Amino acid sequence: MTSVAAIDRFATSTKRAFVAAIVIALCLFALQLVTIEGMQSWLDVSRQSAARVPTFLVRISLIICAVAAAFVFVTSLSFYKRNKVAVAPWLFLAVGLVLFMIYVIVPIFQSISYSFTRWDGLYDINGVWTGEWVGLHNYKLLFQDPNFYTSLKNNLLWLLLFMLAVPLGLFIALFLNQTVTGIRMYKSLFFFPFVISQVVVGLIFTWAYNPEFGLLSEIWSWFFCETKTNIVGNLTRVCSPEPPSILGDEDTATFGIIAAGLWPQIAYCMILYLTGLNNISSDQIEAGRLDGAKGWKMLRHVILPQLKPATFIAIVVTVIGALRSFDMIATMTQGGPYGSSNVLAYYMYDQAVGEGVGRYGYGSAIATVLFLIMLVYISYFLWRMYQDEVEAR
Amino acid sequence: MKFNLKHSIASVVAATFMSSAALASDLIITFDDLNPDKKAAYEAAVEAFKAANPDINVTANNGDREAHKDSIRNALQNDAPDVITWYPGNRMGPFVDAGLFMDISDLWSSDPNLADKFNAIKPTMSRDGKQWGVPYSYYQWGVYYRKDIYDKLGLSEPATWDELLGNCDKLKEAGVTPFTIGTKFLWTAAGVFDYLNLRTNGYDVHNDLTAGNIKYTDDRIRATFANWEEMLDRCTFVGTHATMSWQDAIAPFANGDAAMYVMGNFSVGQYKDAGLTDEQIDFFQFPEITEGLPRAEEAPADAFFIPANAKNVENAKKFLAFVATPEVQGEWNKTIGQLPPNSDAEINSDDKFIVEGMATLSTAAGLAQFYDRDAPAAMASEGMKGFQQFMLDPSKLDEILENLDKVQEEVYK
Repeated sequence: MTSVAAIDRFATSTKRAFVAAIVIALCLFALQLVTIEGMQSWLDVSRQSAARVPTFLVRISLIICAVAAAFVFVTSLSFYKRNKVAVAPWLFLAVGLVLFMIYVIVPIFQSISYSFTRWDGLYDINGVWTGEWVGLHNYKLLFQDPNFYTSLKNNLLWLLLFMLAVPLGLFIALFLNQTVTGIRMYKSLFFFPFVISQVVVGLIFTWAYNPEFGLLSEIWSWFFCETKTNIVGNLTRVCSPEPPSILGDEDTATFGIIAAGLWPQIAYCMILYLTGLNNISSDQIEAGRLDGAKGWKMLRHVILPQLKPATFIAIVVTVIGALRSFDMIATMTQGGPYGSSNVLAYYMYDQAVGEGVGRYGYGSAIATVLFLIMLVYISYFLWRMYQDEVEAR
Repeated sequence: MKFNLKHSIASVVAATFMSSAALASDLIITFDDLNPDKKAAYEAAVEAFKAANPDINVTANNGDREAHKDSIRNALQNDAPDVITWYPGNRMGPFVDAGLFMDISDLWSSDPNLADKFNAIKPTMSRDGKQWGVPYSYYQWGVYYRKDIYDKLGLSEPATWDELLGNCDKLKEAGVTPFTIGTKFLWTAAGVFDYLNLRTNGYDVHNDLTAGNIKYTDDRIRATFANWEEMLDRCTFVGTHATMSWQDAIAPFANGDAAMYVMGNFSVGQYKDAGLTDEQIDFFQFPEITEGLPRAEEAPADAFFIPANAKNVENAKKFLAFVATPEVQGEWNKTIGQLPPNSDAEINSDDKFIVEGMATLSTAAGLAQFYDRDAPAAMASEGMKGFQQFMLDPSKLDEILENLDKVQEEVYK
């Protein structure tokens, strides 16, 4: 009886594998057939422009179909049944891993390889790559490029000054960690800037800094300006000294952007610390109080050690935030004036894609250097995580 | 029966192909301006083309101008339309060199309009001795000024450099900032540089510089910068220009705090939106600096190109020839308030800026595109950063020029 059932099971699972294999083959075959012209004539939309034909949709559904069939195929193999525990996690990881390979790992190596070439980002009419191999030339240029050092310096400034978000966030969290009526509302108000999009924060600060009509120049005019009538009879403002042009001055532009970036980042750190403070054990505070600790000593020796996990995460997200400064710079100054508020990420974009400049090789060299710098931080972070896991075991 | 079925299927298939061959006359056009007047002019021209060619199925796409600068790369390499807009001069260089634009020299020699009426703009549309596109519009640059302020101070349009500087002195005495400008997006500074260079050294030096044959540390270019320094000193620009866009910079001009603006003719609509009238504003040509130098002007053009991947080339050429006719050129540019490149086309004679622009450009010794269109993009981007830096701190001149030389050496390899 059992052997018959086993044979039966074997037969069904072989059949399943067979069907699944056929589905995979069909999907992959159909994938070859999907072309813009074919879709146009099939759907009878030849008048539409190529971009509006749903080729991508059809292709992606075929791929998903093939992946699902592959899943069925693998699970019906007897090899899989024997090694279920070892194979199953990899099966689930497979899709993610493949996507990660295609969209993250492979491009990293592609980008590194482009950094040894001079290329304007174009393929010619036959799809042939138009660049040329130049060896280490881009790196030689890079290390002589004053803009590169400006960007590097600004990256460091971002990392250092952005760290202010951690103590400031802690301070606000301690301040808000009380029970008075409406405290939730105050907390929400303090958290509010983190909810706004970075682009909006950038725009608000750009307007606030504007020396003609911004909030700062408005305040400035209370002290240093007077209103006069100009030659055609309109009112005009005459200031002495002139209001500062924060984003228009190479010495202050970066600081102006960092200050704008700090606003939401402080809110983020604050919320991390607030949740941390919720979990502080009252026994230890009690015990500390009995031993005569209060004020700074209490904070330093009793509360902060318990906030260590929150501090770690706050530092990690702040470092990431500092390296993500791209969107702030893009909305506020576009790296200006004359490149003085660039960071490496923005400079890379500017050289490769921005305004059709098209120095893809040079941009890739910047990207590679940025990658190497980040690698130091990422390695430390991974090592740290690994250590924590080892300790936890 | 079986044979018959097969036969009938075959005949149906054949019929489908034949009928589609008879009808398969498509034309896909990609345009890049959503501003109301630009969009209207483009759509009107497409409608007129459809009416003249009822057998062609025209698909007219339109998109944002800035986004088009990115998407054109993909469009030319993968899903090419039959006609696409782009900029002439060096901006078309990379696409021409990669073989992504189609050579239409045959159209330029056979079409009566293109052969005779586009002589002024033809060099701009040419690369390697061949023509690559058909311009539909261009416009003049120059100095827009507040006529009411000039009249109040008894000033007149300057014809020479000294007269301009003299006007500036008087404006400053009266508490008016002579020039407004907004250099946040850099290219406005390039307009000032181009004019100073064209007037100091002339058209050939402009072309040699943007073609990479002259170094930035060359004495002639230094002379241009010396004039610019004099201009910064005596004809002050508004102080906060590095944080303003060109539109922001209109505010002090409209309020009467600044009296002049080196700009392109597309800005006139914005002055009027800001409340200025034709009586309050006027236009003069950037004054002469080096005596006796043939007068060259900036006149950036917009043009249509045929991608090398286009599927309906005959229809595309038909459309380009249609765009080149004086009627279409006239209508199009009346709608958008610019100048038609076809010398036979009618212009809007009620618009004093258009009339003056036509007079200026038709008598010019040479037409420059613009620094960032004549120079390759990689050079232009660094160059314009340098111009902005110079305007903020002229003492950095040597450093800036040496850096530009380095970039130039790299870019023109």
